[in-house]
Amino acid sequence: MILFQNVDKEYPRTGLALADVSFHLRKGEFMFVTGPSGAGKTTLVKLVTMEERPSGGTVRVSGYASDRIRIREIPRLRRRLGIVFQDFRLLKNRTARENIAFALEVTGAPPEQITPKVLRTLAAVGLSDKADHLPSELSGGEQQRVAIARALVNDPFILLADEPTGNLDPKVALDILRVFKDINLRGMAVMLVTHDRTLLGEHPRARIIELDQGRIVRDTAGDGATS
Amino acid sequence: MAYTSREAFFAFRRSPLLTALSIATIAFALYTLSVFGLVWSNIDRVLESVEERVEVIAYLVDGTDPAETSALMREVAAYPEVDSIAYISKDDALARARVELADYSALYEDLEANPLPASVEVALKRGFRNADDVQELATRIARFPFVEEIKYGEDWVQKLDFLQNLSLFLGLVVGGVFAAIAFVAIGATINIVLISREDEIAIMKMVGATRAFIARPLVIEGFAKGVIGAVLALVLLTATYSLLEQRVVSLEFYSPLQIVAGILLGGTLGAVASIFTLHRHLAVW
Repeated sequence: MILFQNVDKEYPRTGLALADVSFHLRKGEFMFVTGPSGAGKTTLVKLVTMEERPSGGTVRVSGYASDRIRIREIPRLRRRLGIVFQDFRLLKNRTARENIAFALEVTGAPPEQITPKVLRTLAAVGLSDKADHLPSELSGGEQQRVAIARALVNDPFILLADEPTGNLDPKVALDILRVFKDINLRGMAVMLVTHDRTLLGEHPRARIIELDQGRIVRDTAGDGATS
Repeated sequence: MAYTSREAFFAFRRSPLLTALSIATIAFALYTLSVFGLVWSNIDRVLESVEERVEVIAYLVDGTDPAETSALMREVAAYPEVDSIAYISKDDALARARVELADYSALYEDLEANPLPASVEVALKRGFRNADDVQELATRIARFPFVEEIKYGEDWVQKLDFLQNLSLFLGLVVGGVFAAIAFVAIGATINIVLISREDEIAIMKMVGATRAFIARPLVIEGFAKGVIGAVLALVLLTATYSLLEQRVVSLEFYSPLQIVAGILLGGTLGAVASIFTLHRHLAVW
């Protein structure tokens, strides 16, 4: 699914962001990636989405390898990833329903499939009654649910979340974590990047990879990239 | 497709001022270009009609054997640059002089012998009516021993040449400058559109929209702006034309085919400028 093999990432100006990172995220797994800010968490996410390429080693995501993927193949890879950010990234002038439909429209989904899929996904994140609200009419937690729904609507194999609870108060953050857990229970892999250690305690069975200064200092699965 | 067409025209509603401004810039650039083109083509037309009169006249020695004259005419007629060739006998020359110089007709009345020489008039094909080719031809004809004198209006052939080259040069320079202005203007408006839609484009990249998908509505938008600008320029041009026609000078307007080509040129310019700008923006994925 996602395989990092001895991955280094060095930026010309800021230096080494990741050093010798190896892990294998399997189908259906729930993985936290944690660590202090500047540990390389966001770089790791960018390597998964192939927004960045490693300086050394290889990243493999769903059959695409970082050293062989062509620019025009990247959209196909992205459709297999559901991505959620801290700042939600919703279009302000579109309703919840339209924001979710947008992800289908721009990837060329057949128009007749869009509405049923959008409504189904909205229901999955518990927002059926807010379909026609603009983001400004929704709370932070609700906006993040819309963003999650948008990430799910293309049926990705993994949900990739970069600090999804960073802008939310603790109680709402736990609600959002619950949404991720539900999604994971239905068989979808989740990679949740967070610096918030309290979340880790809320999901004891999840795998934890902890980064510090670009290196993995803890992996609760402990098998590196061997499998 | 629904997304593409909706987005392409959404821009017009979303930022009407910016859109109007960019269309106006394109219209002005194309208008100036077309006014210059109109003047250029009319100068060119005048030059062409003058050019048609470019010819080489070879005056023959009196008493030249008609067989030798025919040989000259056959040979010269076979030159690739020669369009037509005509023999003017001494009698023809006198008759022509009597008509053309009617005021001096008394001079010709009491002539005992015809003083005018027979001549051969050579017209050149288009594309050969320039100073170099005319001179080259004159030199070759002058080699026939029974050719007494050659005339081809060296001076004005050269002047005509200069004028035509100048108008071509100005046309290309001024036309090029304004095409570049239009190009930059369209690129700049697309740039602003891209910046104002940064969030949307970032989301599109994130969810897996292809580059072509993101680019398509903007290319259509650039094309549409170019076409609208060109139509506006045409309206202005028509007004200018009728004003000039009434007050100053009679001109020939563009043909319908040229007008269609001009409008398509506007659209193409808009689309290419958009593609050019997009290429820079969408290089990073």
